[in-house]
Amino acid sequence: MRDDYSSKLGYGLKWAYLLSIVGALLAPVFHIVYISFNEHGFSARIYEFTTDWYRVVLGDIMLVASLKWTFYLALSAVLTAVPMGLLAAKLYKRTQHKVAFVTLMLAPLFVPADIMASSLLVFFRNANGVFELLGEALGWEWLTHWFELGFLTALIGQILYTLPYAFVIILITMSRYHPQQTEAARGCGATGWQAFCQVEFPQIRAGVFSACAFVVILSFNEATRTALLKGGFDTFANVLVSQMLNVGMSGESYAMAGIMSIVAITVIGGFLIYTLIQSGRLERVARAKADPLMSS
Amino acid sequence: MANMPNIAVEVTDLAKSYGSVVALKSVSFRIDSGRYFVLLGPSGCGKTTLLRLIGGFIRPTRGRILLHGRDVTDLPPNKRPTSMVFQSFALFPHMTVTKNVGYGLRLRKLPTSEVLARVDDMLDMVGLEGLGDRLPHELSGGQQQRVQLARSLVLETDILLLDEPLAALDAKLHKSMCIELKRIQEKVGITFVHVTHNQEEAMTVADDLAIIDNGELVETGRTIDLYENPLRRFTADFIGENNIFDGRVSRIDGVEATIDLGYDTVTANSRGQAVRVGDDASISVRSERLRIYDRDGKVEDSFHYLPATHMETVYLGLTTSEIVTLPDGKEVVVRRLSDGVENAGFSRGAVIRIGWRKADGRLHTS
Repeated sequence: MRDDYSSKLGYGLKWAYLLSIVGALLAPVFHIVYISFNEHGFSARIYEFTTDWYRVVLGDIMLVASLKWTFYLALSAVLTAVPMGLLAAKLYKRTQHKVAFVTLMLAPLFVPADIMASSLLVFFRNANGVFELLGEALGWEWLTHWFELGFLTALIGQILYTLPYAFVIILITMSRYHPQQTEAARGCGATGWQAFCQVEFPQIRAGVFSACAFVVILSFNEATRTALLKGGFDTFANVLVSQMLNVGMSGESYAMAGIMSIVAITVIGGFLIYTLIQSGRLERVARAKADPLMSS
Repeated sequence: MANMPNIAVEVTDLAKSYGSVVALKSVSFRIDSGRYFVLLGPSGCGKTTLLRLIGGFIRPTRGRILLHGRDVTDLPPNKRPTSMVFQSFALFPHMTVTKNVGYGLRLRKLPTSEVLARVDDMLDMVGLEGLGDRLPHELSGGQQQRVQLARSLVLETDILLLDEPLAALDAKLHKSMCIELKRIQEKVGITFVHVTHNQEEAMTVADDLAIIDNGELVETGRTIDLYENPLRRFTADFIGENNIFDGRVSRIDGVEATIDLGYDTVTANSRGQAVRVGDDASISVRSERLRIYDRDGKVEDSFHYLPATHMETVYLGLTTSEIVTLPDGKEVVVRRLSDGVENAGFSRGAVIRIGWRKADGRLHTS
């Protein structure tokens, strides 16, 4: 019987198909990165390699500040959305109302970004008004600025956006974990926390780390919500979008887009390579050990 | 004194409900220290719930659990003197056999050299020497269960809980592991509490049995007692191959009750049970204690006889079962050692009699 690999042509065609799909998806990204290294920018007839645009971007105080804010936002989103997604996934495994639970968790994904952003904006403004009134009535001045637009409101918007993704990614890896292992660990004398750290987490960490990577990427790419909710700071994507809208694409814009693309591809590619290396290593170890076993 | 030191497990009025679903009704029993105790019952009867309550994996709705006289009802699993062997899926797949077995010892912060020595000893004991570096997925089902056993035994807890530990094994391995479990229990001398729905497994390993049905403890006792003299009808129906004749008490003469089966009457010793005329009652007779006779054969006073029709002969290797029907249409199994004779000499539809010694009939009023 012929298997999939016995036909070299078929095997080659499969790979050609896969690479052409990936190539078509990534070609625009690579094109932008390519342009970002051209001294003469987009649509120039000549191509001269330069890293000057990147130097300009990284030398721009406003841009570096926006990069910093984006990093803080991404870090804060990772530190909040990922643990929340993890808890939600654990609750999902325990709840009997799985359909209702998953519908509620994924609901934010089905609300268009601008609707969600403007709704949050109105909500935060009204909430701020209530807190101001409350602060005045109680004489607590700190309450009056409690819900002004700023980092906290941008972070809440970001969490609402990234939490469903973190939940789904972690849930996928968690579905292979059997809770009896936690019970076995408890039976061996582990506390609940020890059982989680030593038995459950090592088996779901690929999902948790993937969720972290995804949240970082989403935070770097997100513009709509942060544009409306950010208050007194700019994120990298906001600067890029506003620059494109106001002055059009420049060499600097391409370099910024290049930075974002390189960050995203590096993070995802890094995880993919790590996973492939790990699975290959484990397979080799398993093969090396697996001399025929007697069932006894 | 209520809590004798030789009582390993004592549960009192233990109950568990999930909303309106009652998993375990009020259950009370004791397990003597150092015994192999089996909780036996059909699937979904509440036996695993009971085991998990003893282990602390779920909290009871009502009742108390005492382990060696200490009330542990509100303690988590890691604070109880128990360890547990699960049906499957409970080995840590990212740890080697050595790390799996030594997990509990490492939690106790014992020196690495001591952990390794004790793990090696335990792997020797369960027949897994030399497999310490393997990952769980590189082991067979039987080996995986041995690792679980070693992981629990190495902790030297007073009580080992086993939740259907052999259910995932094939028939041959199942049998050998049964004997292995019994051997290990006798060697380590601690209390084993084993849950199963398999009566052969239960009979192989148990010193004492508890029969559970529908969330209730039906009967407890020594294995041989429950097999030979079950008090409850359910026990007789569940353990061994018993034929049950249902009827109504028509007469009481001292300790002997007469049961009207509708087409005949039979008598049995009441065995201390409260019996009144008119009560529903049953008589159980083990299939190997029944005999088949010609319709017109001789009659002995010490025997009961019932008219029957021969239906089928089923050859089972060591034994052969004769299926017969009674006048009320109920099927009865008569089992005999296969002696090379294909059938007992009765053709299908032959009118025959079945009989048993009066002393072999056991009366059940509940």
